[in-house]
Amino acid sequence: MITAIIYLVKITITRGRINDFKNQLLEEADYFELLELRKVILRTQQNNQEVPVANLLDSNLKIYIVLKMCFFLLASVSNYLDFRPDQKRRMAMRVPKAPGFASMMKEGAKYMHGLDEAVYRNINACKELCETTSSSFGPNGLNKMVINHIEKLFVTNDAASILREIDVVHPAAKILMLASEMQEKEVGDGTNYVILFASKLLENAEDLLRMGLSQSEIIDGYLLAMSKALEILPKLELDVGIKLTKDNLNEHDALISKILQTAISSKLFGYHEFLGELVTRACLVVSNDGTHSFNVDNVRVCKILGGGLLQSSMVSGMVLKREIDSEVTKVQQAKIAVYSCPIDIQVTETKGTVLLKSADELLSFSKDEETGIESQIKAIHDSGINVIVSGGKIGKLFLYYIYLVLVHFTFSILGEMALHFLNKYQIMAVRLMSKFDLRRVAKTIDAVVLPKLRTPTHEEIGYCDNIYLDEIGDTSIVVFKHQKSTISTIILRGSTEQILDDCERALDDAVNNFKALTKEQALLPGGGAAEIELAQQLTTYAQTCPGIEQYAIKRYAETFDCIPKILAENSGCKSTEILAKLYVGHQDNKNLGFLIGSNQAITKERTTQPIDITCETSDMKLNALYDLYITKKWALLFATKAACTVLSVDEIICAKPAGGPKPKENKGWDNDD
Amino acid sequence: MQPMIIILKEGTDSSQGKSQVLSNISACQAVAEAVRTTLGPRGMDKLIVDNRGKATISNDGATILKLLEVVHPAARTLVDIAKSQDAEVGDGTTSVVLLTGEILKNCRQFIDDGMHPTVIIRALRKAAAIANQKVKEIAVSVKTDDAKEQRALLEKCAATTLSSKLIARQKEFFSKMVVDAVLILDDLLPLNMIGIKKVNGGSLEESRLVAGVAFKKTFSYAGFEMQPKQYQKPKIAMLNIELELKAERDNAEIRLDNVEEYQKIVDAEWTILYSKLEKLHLAGVKVVLSKLPIGDVATQYFADRDMFCAGRVQEDDLKRTQKACGGAIITTVENLNESVLGSCQHFEEQQIGGDRYNFFTGCPKAKTATLILRGGAEQFIDEVERSLHDAIMIVRRAVKNDSVVAGGGAIEMALSRTLRDFSRTIAGKEQLIIAAYAKSFEIIPRQLCENAGFDATNILNKLRQKHAENGIWFGVDISREDVTDNFLAAVWEPAVVKINAITAASEAACLILSVDETIKVPKSVAETSNAAKQMGMGG
Repeated sequence: MITAIIYLVKITITRGRINDFKNQLLEEADYFELLELRKVILRTQQNNQEVPVANLLDSNLKIYIVLKMCFFLLASVSNYLDFRPDQKRRMAMRVPKAPGFASMMKEGAKYMHGLDEAVYRNINACKELCETTSSSFGPNGLNKMVINHIEKLFVTNDAASILREIDVVHPAAKILMLASEMQEKEVGDGTNYVILFASKLLENAEDLLRMGLSQSEIIDGYLLAMSKALEILPKLELDVGIKLTKDNLNEHDALISKILQTAISSKLFGYHEFLGELVTRACLVVSNDGTHSFNVDNVRVCKILGGGLLQSSMVSGMVLKREIDSEVTKVQQAKIAVYSCPIDIQVTETKGTVLLKSADELLSFSKDEETGIESQIKAIHDSGINVIVSGGKIGKLFLYYIYLVLVHFTFSILGEMALHFLNKYQIMAVRLMSKFDLRRVAKTIDAVVLPKLRTPTHEEIGYCDNIYLDEIGDTSIVVFKHQKSTISTIILRGSTEQILDDCERALDDAVNNFKALTKEQALLPGGGAAEIELAQQLTTYAQTCPGIEQYAIKRYAETFDCIPKILAENSGCKSTEILAKLYVGHQDNKNLGFLIGSNQAITKERTTQPIDITCETSDMKLNALYDLYITKKWALLFATKAACTVLSVDEIICAKPAGGPKPKENKGWDNDD
Repeated sequence: MQPMIIILKEGTDSSQGKSQVLSNISACQAVAEAVRTTLGPRGMDKLIVDNRGKATISNDGATILKLLEVVHPAARTLVDIAKSQDAEVGDGTTSVVLLTGEILKNCRQFIDDGMHPTVIIRALRKAAAIANQKVKEIAVSVKTDDAKEQRALLEKCAATTLSSKLIARQKEFFSKMVVDAVLILDDLLPLNMIGIKKVNGGSLEESRLVAGVAFKKTFSYAGFEMQPKQYQKPKIAMLNIELELKAERDNAEIRLDNVEEYQKIVDAEWTILYSKLEKLHLAGVKVVLSKLPIGDVATQYFADRDMFCAGRVQEDDLKRTQKACGGAIITTVENLNESVLGSCQHFEEQQIGGDRYNFFTGCPKAKTATLILRGGAEQFIDEVERSLHDAIMIVRRAVKNDSVVAGGGAIEMALSRTLRDFSRTIAGKEQLIIAAYAKSFEIIPRQLCENAGFDATNILNKLRQKHAENGIWFGVDISREDVTDNFLAAVWEPAVVKINAITAASEAACLILSVDETIKVPKSVAETSNAAKQMGMGG
């Protein structure tokens, strides 16, 4: 009962209508089942009578008296309130929001506010996310099995893929996810790094918040620390003896292979040396095209189930999982015409009917069509073309004529010309299913894609050293092998689909690293060496800062510990011990980092040598474990920005999720991969 | 009152940690258990009834696993490697699954003891590399220069594969047939150029190999009976056109203004058909095959002129005919000449069991072969077909890679011994793991013995003793319940089969060990009940 009264009082204060209190009291009294009381009050007011003394004993009346006392009290307060309008609002704020705020929104909406409700919760959510990904960080990271919403199985330790498939819904965790997605788009590697670093930053921020720092102070400190870190980072550049520039990448393939191996080793440790060399060769083929822009799309991966990873190989040119449509399955020194249209009888877009007037027309109708086709193919053949690649259907009649022409030709000259022309003048026809593949093939052989069936000019004809049908496992493939190709393909072998997919992601990271390398050639020591150095320098810097941001900068510096720490933890080492060693060692060698395994990996030649697995601190320069400067730079930037974004939130308002079917996503669309 | 923190979508199932690794291992072992008894010459078959009620009898690991529809994510890996083995070499699918299961089983104790999975994975990779190296080292290369010798080698390989199949009794008969079939093919050894035709009835021994093409008589129209059924050196036209009265073009329309013209049009349609037939006749074609129907007008026309025709021939049959007899598949009868027509020595229609078959033999470019299988039950012939497929694949591999190892558990014992010896040379945890990996290889001879009803421990002891004395080719002798030199006993397998099996099994084992967390996002169309979701994970 008393709570009811207090509630009423509060409502009144909130609404600031003290004068209405009485009426309201009477109305609301009904709600609180004070029917009796109401009657009494009404009676009192109407008759202006004294209440019989006997009734005073009635409990309801006791309350009435209490209420009346409140009324007077409030009336006096209201005068005060009118004097201080600001104060009034303040007081109103203190009232628990729930009923008032919730009444503004639809039922089911969520509203969280304040340090405990919003900030700590956000931080916790990010921490939880990080727990999932942290165990897959580094060469000794473990895989995750993720089954996504269409029941596809992923086995991977690639943070970007894990996050993409598990459908993160928490808003704060989603910010982290977006940050890692940005990293994926910007550099293509280091996605796990972003998640880890951002969530560790948040974890440290939590301590600072509990210490009493405000969110904005922490954010300021973090941003300051970040700019300082980005200032220090270039100074840590590793001198590897060779000055890499955009133009001399091709000459230092050994070094590049080492750099790319770092990226691969975090996914497929043990195979990194073999795959690193493969990717390096593939990338260098592509970057040879004379232009400075390196397109990741030009390194293709063709996954073929069966065999083992070590049976993978690289082809300069394209490899397609297709069959060849025509009889000829092998052409050397090919001259190729590429068509995006189906090679078939052209059909009008407009609906039309062929109108025949006489029997003669009927008789000659299909004959004319056939001679037309024959002349077309013959014209193409006469221009020296022996391979036709088409993005559309190749009509059966055309296929037949493609065959016929070659036979005609060989038969007509068989008299004196040598028999070898038999094989030389043959047309091969390949049909591609995807328009992107068509574009890539055209790029490989340097041909112009013709939208209409006509004889190509000299410039439009593509050349290829060797085109042939091959079989790997039980998959038949068409290989376009071209020495001067600007597209290279890595044929991946593996015993399960998952291994192949995971391997493809690792290669993708490596290729992206190469792309980053074409933009920026600076190298940093890997294995957490750069991080420890940053941590040390930042700590020193923090001590020079006079303001409260000193604490935040210090914490930012400490966050860098997490990288070698997690590396060590995932390898089953004592992380504290390793950290201590690293800090001590960094006094005189700033390239000291945490080294996993040895560089003696499994390769084709060296299969029997025992591999000593060490997990120790070591000089990164000597062990040739390099990270790219650009990856680190963006990772730091994205992680800090994401952490600051999460920190700057103090309220979370979630609208009620709308019912009904999800908006349709056009998943099946052929997007530009 | 307070909303919960939900990071992931509602209904997302996630499990992690050591227990996750262990449960994945258990799931894989359950799968391995399912195919365990099918290994070897004395392996038993499985009868699987799928959800449509179709019964399949098989002892082919890949076939069984495919039909089982495994849903457990980790166990699906095993199905995948069986498929990969099937794709790469075609045989040894059961052994690859068994081997993976056994490696995982032996590694289980290390996980239990708290060893870090990455340590195990690295050791396994190293061991696999050593094993592969060893296989390459001891594999015996058989020279291919001598055709006769190569043939003997291939036959032995085929016989070894077939000995573990349903048709083990007829292995001499079939291994010869399989080798013949493969040797007919061209360099690429395309599998689809070996046709397998199944005819119910008769006995297995009545199966035959046709160096050329044979296919079942197609649907025929009136007049077919009058056509001759036998030719010597006929010219063959393979068509992709319909020999029937029909509209020339779908969207063509004829408008006429007088009655005389109408009759002309009708005549013209007939003329079109007859001119096609006439052109074929004039070109001297004796046998007309078409992918599309050949109508009764055409059938009777051909019958009058001593020609044979068959319409609605299956596309792959037609393609194989073309490969065998030369020529091309013709899409128009204009410009017919010698080059587009095929020919063969002999064409005949024959009765096989209850069906009539068209035979094309003595083909000039015979790069294709047809196996006609006879046998009782349908399931039985199906299994024979699968067995022959395995044998064909093995022979194809053996043609490409001519090194062989001894089967019957011999190579496994040799590897086991090598690895065990190697493990003793290294210090540290890896010693244990490599020793466990070495032990895993013993599952193959052990299972061979168990399936044959022998005392596995006894035989294995004998084998270990022989191998310790450097008898690297000693394996299980199924016929005498003893050990014997399987290389001399001509139980041969291509080395590439073993290399692939070891690689695949190790990669799969590593993959399963490297997973420490499973996250299952609910299906996007989340209308399934909760019970169904949980069942999905239960696997």
